[in-house]
Amino acid sequence: MTAAGIAQPITRPYKKRGSSLVNWMTTTDHKLIGQLYLATSFLFFLLAGVMALLMRAELARPGLQFLTNEQYNQLFTMHGTIMLLLFATPLFIGFANVIVPLQIGAPDVAFPRLNIFSFYLFLFGGLITIGGFLTPGGAADFGWYAYTPLTNAAHSPGVGGDMWIMGLVVSGLGTILGGVNFVTTIMVMRAPGMTMFRMPIFTWNILLTSMLVLLAFPVLAAALLCLEAERKLGAQIFTTANGGPILWQHLFWFFGHPEVYIVAIPFFGIITEILPVFARKPVFGYKGLVFATISISGLSMTVWAHHMFSTGAVLLPFFSFMTFLIAVPTGVKFFNWIGTLWRGQLSFDTPLLWALGFLVTFLFGGLTGIILASPPLDWHVTDTYFVVAHFHYVLFGTVVFAMFGGFYFWWPKMTGKMLDERLGKVHFWTLFIGFHTTFLVQHWLGVIGMPRRIPDYLPTDGFTTLNTVSTIGAFILGLSMFPFFFNVWKTWRHAPLVGVDDPWGWGASLEWATSCPPPRHNFVRMPRIRSERPAFDLHHPELTGRPQVPVAAGSAVEGGSA
Amino acid sequence: MSPSTDGSSRQSGRKPGRLGLVVRSAMTVATLVLVTGCSKDNVPRFAMPTPITAEGHRVLSLWQGSWIAALFVGCLVWGLIIWCIIAYRKRGEGPAPQLAFNLPIEILYTIVPVIFVGVLFYFTARDENAIDKLAPNPQVTVEVVGFQWDWQFNYLSSADDATAVTMASVTGDNAHGSPATLELPAGESVRFKLVSPDVIHAFWIPAFLFKRDVIPGRTNEFEVHIDADKAGNTYEGRCTEFCGLNHDQMLFHVKIVTPATYDADLAKMETAFKSGSST
Amino acid sequence: MKTEGLLFAGCAIFFAVVDIIYWTLSHDPTGTTALALAVGLAFLVGFYLFVTGRRTGMRPEDRRDAEISESAGEFGFFSPHSWWPLFTAASVAVVALGVVFAWWLAILGMMFVILTAFGFVLEYYRGIHIQQ
Repeated sequence: MTAAGIAQPITRPYKKRGSSLVNWMTTTDHKLIGQLYLATSFLFFLLAGVMALLMRAELARPGLQFLTNEQYNQLFTMHGTIMLLLFATPLFIGFANVIVPLQIGAPDVAFPRLNIFSFYLFLFGGLITIGGFLTPGGAADFGWYAYTPLTNAAHSPGVGGDMWIMGLVVSGLGTILGGVNFVTTIMVMRAPGMTMFRMPIFTWNILLTSMLVLLAFPVLAAALLCLEAERKLGAQIFTTANGGPILWQHLFWFFGHPEVYIVAIPFFGIITEILPVFARKPVFGYKGLVFATISISGLSMTVWAHHMFSTGAVLLPFFSFMTFLIAVPTGVKFFNWIGTLWRGQLSFDTPLLWALGFLVTFLFGGLTGIILASPPLDWHVTDTYFVVAHFHYVLFGTVVFAMFGGFYFWWPKMTGKMLDERLGKVHFWTLFIGFHTTFLVQHWLGVIGMPRRIPDYLPTDGFTTLNTVSTIGAFILGLSMFPFFFNVWKTWRHAPLVGVDDPWGWGASLEWATSCPPPRHNFVRMPRIRSERPAFDLHHPELTGRPQVPVAAGSAVEGGSA
Repeated sequence: MSPSTDGSSRQSGRKPGRLGLVVRSAMTVATLVLVTGCSKDNVPRFAMPTPITAEGHRVLSLWQGSWIAALFVGCLVWGLIIWCIIAYRKRGEGPAPQLAFNLPIEILYTIVPVIFVGVLFYFTARDENAIDKLAPNPQVTVEVVGFQWDWQFNYLSSADDATAVTMASVTGDNAHGSPATLELPAGESVRFKLVSPDVIHAFWIPAFLFKRDVIPGRTNEFEVHIDADKAGNTYEGRCTEFCGLNHDQMLFHVKIVTPATYDADLAKMETAFKSGSST
Repeated sequence: MKTEGLLFAGCAIFFAVVDIIYWTLSHDPTGTTALALAVGLAFLVGFYLFVTGRRTGMRPEDRRDAEISESAGEFGFFSPHSWWPLFTAASVAVVALGVVFAWWLAILGMMFVILTAFGFVLEYYRGIHIQQ
């Protein structure tokens, strides 16, 4: 609405520079590159999800129904690889791309062409990795952590394994360059007044995640190239006589553990953005959250061998102690999130549902993580469905719940339109029920004796009922995607443009002080930044607790919220 | 709060509301509890199999204690979340009180978890040292050879690598559905030496509440004290480190017998071994 | 920029302390080396940022009382669109496929990488972009 009170038809604020394929292929706009990342990683998510459904269908009853052992082994290997490295990791880069420059008041990222270059490395590397399915020998079939000597040329011949390795080298390079881009952007392109301790928590989390990327991914790339040298050139790096198997595990998990924090911390950031907006109060304990996240990031580099407790080759008390320790800052974050809700005015829109679903789910995953931190307990349950259940609770609970929360929350900012609320609630509840039905029973299965990565089990094992329940849950989970697809299509075709900067009304960070969607270089006008909630200060000046200084002409965005 | 232009049914129709949310949560929880499919006897052990070794009993106690502590914390935190959902639903379109921090509480919920994990770590360290202990003279020594995709058990004369000889050997035939059976005497201490000629496997006997990896190029050792009252039972054994095509078929059995039966059976196996036929 | 420097340098110190403890207790060369490299990276970045921050002083984004207008004017050059990233990434992919399938393909790919990297880096220094 204009100041004159005359209703104007709401039009897209800035003409899109064409929607042609060439525009998308050559873009250097972080907002579009981010959407490329989000869409591509979501497609990988669906692909790996179909693989999961195939596996669950096979496991519903004892006896091999329709898969061979070899096919099953390829499925779980590629499911894990895609979910962690071609879905969750690029997804965080996608959200970071769309949101971080907006949140810090920057016109773009520091290296826009490096940005789209990184995307293409991800795309091509990912296609090479899954391209193994098109070879006669099939895709890699040795598990996503690729333990040697199983992965050497003698035990896993076949070009699918080589394509897996080199594809991950290429996409890993893309991730590293993405990390470089975000660290630089956050450090040198913040708007005036946006000190480090006024940055939104999501941006802080992206900074720390990027630091972890720089520390961890080169180790993966090196280990992968060593493995490929062993397979192709006869290198003797991982020979059993040289302690090669343990060497591989140390190298892989030195990457692998920070990797799971790389895919978790950005999504913790998304949750931290959603909660205050729908509780209508600030984030609780901002500084505590920052220090907790710094602690988690630092500690995550020191716990890697808790994946190796059963090897008998690692210093148990050290890794157990550091793993227990990492639970403390995670708990602090949890209580800060609850503190954000405490005495709030909660509005149960779809983004908040996803955030609450995350809290409920991740809590249980964190508790089973504490159990696993204890080697005597880990020795029984490691490599069983207990661990499978644990990591799906923490990973799915974090990545997928926060992903959908982020989608519903930032859809208007990205597209100018709001996703439908009712469909969103159907989507959420179906997924929530499907997820817990699938994975809760797997804890029990693991403890009573079911190992992981098995295509089949005996009728006498006593695993059948729980596996059938888990499979039913998996298909409910799969079905839950359809309300989302319909929502996206319906919104694209029929939803009206929002026409305001902040359709939710209580947005805090700077992205809610520019139009939906923003112009090419993000801000035509920018409000003065005097706290960690510049958009909130702009739209609700009576609540800032500071004297109202008249803003100079041209330094505030008109239009505000409804 | 939001403009009527967003196209959703925000203003029209009553949403299920707070009661609906709580009822649906409760129904979900109830369904989930029923759906875990727990058999009644496993529940006090939180699903753990009944242990048959002294080390296993130690693990079970730690498991039960840890789960009680974890569920206590879990119920507390879930309770807080559910309280927020019920008590702080928005009333009207205005803001909430803008509380942003509370240093005493933040310090409290930093320090209490440190104490919590400190206690857990103490019991963990105590138990892992006890379980990992190796006595100089175990009563039985078995060399476990894990290979793609079966097991061979070699009964050794002693645990001393310099002087031990193989007395008897059992090899499984999983490809034809007959897993190897490892026979062990009740009430005695057993040392396992794990070796592999090919890839990494893992030696898991769920009834021991314990597994250890079998890594080529390395000999892993562990020791158990089998309960005296478990003679007459046979237990499952599985490979639990993915080792290739038929990893899921790499099974074995553990049969606990009285010491007298064990001695007799071992003598028979020794004769068979000396005369050249194995299994 | 000093805050950012302290962040990385602080992590470097933490990793160094943990690394020393880890080596003393475990004598594991792999983990010790990996952590030492992490110390190196964190220290490199942290030291650079801290020293640069001391030299450049408080930028507008470091000051709590800064006005938006302080960074008015030309902010920098942002490439409007480019084909070179696609070509360069495709060349890297060709190298990767060459490692897998055939060494001649890898060598061909390396040539493409060099050509496209030159194109990428020099894109805005050639043709109409040459500055007198």
